[in-house]
Amino acid sequence: MENYYLGVDVGSVSTNLVLIDDENNILCKKYLRTQGKPIEILKEGLKELKEEIGDVNILGAGSTGSGRYLADLIIGADIVKNEITSHAISSLNFIPDVQTIIEIGGQDSKIIIIRDGIVVDFAMNTVCAAGTGSFLDRQAYRLGIPIEDFGRMALKSNNPVRIAGRCAVFAESDMIHKQQLGHNQEDIVWGLCQALVRNYLNNVGKGKDIKGPVMFQGGVAANMGIKRAFESQLGLEVFIPEYFDVMGAVGVAMLARNEVKKKKFSNFKGLEIADVDYKVRGIECNGCANACEIVEICGDNKILARYGDKCGKWSNIKNENTKLA
Amino acid sequence: MCKIGIPRGMLFYDYYPLWAEFFEELGAKVVVSPKSNKEILNSGVLSCVDECCLPVKVFHGHVDYLKDKVDYIFIPKIISIRKMEYCCPKILGLPDMVKFSIEDLPPIIDTNINLRKNSYTSSKYKKAVYEAGKCVIKNSSKIRNAYKKAEESYQRYLYLLSKGVIPIEAIKMYNKTFVDLNYNSKKHDMSIMVVGHPYNIYDEYLNMNIISKLINKGIKVMTPEMVNKDEIIYYSAQLPKRMFWTYGRRIVGSAFSLIERDEVDGIIYLSSFGCGIDSILIDLIERKAKNKGIPFTLLTLDEQTGEAGIDTRVEAFIDMMKWRDKDDFNISTLR
Ligand code: SF4
Ligand code: SF4
Repeated sequence: MENYYLGVDVGSVSTNLVLIDDENNILCKKYLRTQGKPIEILKEGLKELKEEIGDVNILGAGSTGSGRYLADLIIGADIVKNEITSHAISSLNFIPDVQTIIEIGGQDSKIIIIRDGIVVDFAMNTVCAAGTGSFLDRQAYRLGIPIEDFGRMALKSNNPVRIAGRCAVFAESDMIHKQQLGHNQEDIVWGLCQALVRNYLNNVGKGKDIKGPVMFQGGVAANMGIKRAFESQLGLEVFIPEYFDVMGAVGVAMLARNEVKKKKFSNFKGLEIADVDYKVRGIECNGCANACEIVEICGDNKILARYGDKCGKWSNIKNENTKLA
Repeated sequence: MCKIGIPRGMLFYDYYPLWAEFFEELGAKVVVSPKSNKEILNSGVLSCVDECCLPVKVFHGHVDYLKDKVDYIFIPKIISIRKMEYCCPKILGLPDMVKFSIEDLPPIIDTNINLRKNSYTSSKYKKAVYEAGKCVIKNSSKIRNAYKKAEESYQRYLYLLSKGVIPIEAIKMYNKTFVDLNYNSKKHDMSIMVVGHPYNIYDEYLNMNIISKLINKGIKVMTPEMVNKDEIIYYSAQLPKRMFWTYGRRIVGSAFSLIERDEVDGIIYLSSFGCGIDSILIDLIERKAKNKGIPFTLLTLDEQTGEAGIDTRVEAFIDMMKWRDKDDFNISTLR
């Protein structure tokens, strides 16, 4: 039987799962909306995986994304890795001499600069939404265009209009203004793609030494308009990997495989965990002025973890939970 | 007994031992606000003017905490602490800002400290010391003696810092008779400089415990306060333009010194949202680090900073350093 490795990427917007084999072939991928319920969605993803692939040999698992520690608790990960490293690992596998990785997701974006196969610099977006997918979602909604059609429309534009992209609120009013001036939708959509890319390059990409080959991934990479806008503003060809929306999960699956081969055993609890009933409870601590909001996770009538405290009063219930963020 | 409140914010980690010992020698009881917490941050954000930088807002919270518990609050107006240099305008305006923003305050001891043209031995400085002490006792010789004693404690504190003790720890141990200095001398694989204004790097609540997190990962942590003064002067003098902010000079000089002498493997700059001075310092240090091939990253703190975001950046940064070092993530081994 083939051997497989599971990679899980739990982010605030999407939860992704992939199974890869020893040759980095992807057997199966799941892209689900997190909807603020990471545990439920993760379980659902595991259930879907199980139904789709039946009984296969999963030798190890890894977790990444902002919910990586939570995912670790549920699945029993062999490695827990941040998103930057995970993305870099998988991208290097697809284009070994990649020098720049652009990643844009629903609510966050990052840039990773690589030289000679090593990460030398990176940045993640801060509070601003104007350089992320949610910006496009919102404008698409205002224009009454399904977001799926956005890229196709943008490519049809002949008379580009410039839309101020410094901030999501400005962009919106500027877009409405351009609409009233009678610009057609294709041109406005293309203008929005350009605005997003400009914003990304000025914020996340500020001061970064962007060189080709450039890889573009994350959910927004589905949008061909954005790819074109990057190419026109960077003057470089931009590559989109086949599994652009699950690259973090692929990377951590690769790292998990490496880890399991090194240590010769796995912590992975098996896909059956999808059937365990997990309960999540919020507790407000009144132990001191920090008033921390504690999250408690129970499964099988046991407390699996508590986290969210500043002092360790709650999270130290068991030693194995001390690595919780 | 007269109670003097000292807010645990802004220049606290620079001068606390000096101030506290001084007032205690005079016979006052010193009350320090607790470490920053959610309540202090919230009350600070509420009372302070909106456009201010984060540390000044938090400082307001500390004052607010102390105001009903003490007879006086000590917030000196620190204009200059070194010849021909200044502190940031917000440090200089601190007592006035606080008085303007917070109601029902006890009297504020807002002694002017201005050493732009004078030294610590000048009569002007002695007068400032008297000004500060006279609320407790109006006796100039007692005040003089108290200051001398406080100076001695303060020198011990500075000595600990120079030996690589982090101010957060040094404040707890400067007046102990026996101090084990070996705890920081064990072998480390990696050393990181955490650089920035002291009120950002030592406020464990604002920066989500970054220093302890690094130490727990087995990393040696260096901060500007640990770098020798002469080194700082030497290296900051390399700047084409003279840096006239005291803290700016310390930050740039200490970072340059560690970079040039190859004593750090990476640099994390902790900045607070809304700080104009930082934007210049960051640029200078980042360029120097890139020049010498030393990994550099910037973490910006604001009221909404999430711990997960900080942790991710720190973890990715450490991976990046290890990656260079050991080929830890070598792709060929991943097959
Ligand atoms: S968990 Fe700890 S830090 Fe948080 S409120 Fe309770 S006692 Fe305070
Ligand atoms: S130097 Fe920056 S952080 Fe410090 S008080 Fe001035 S503006 Fe605020």
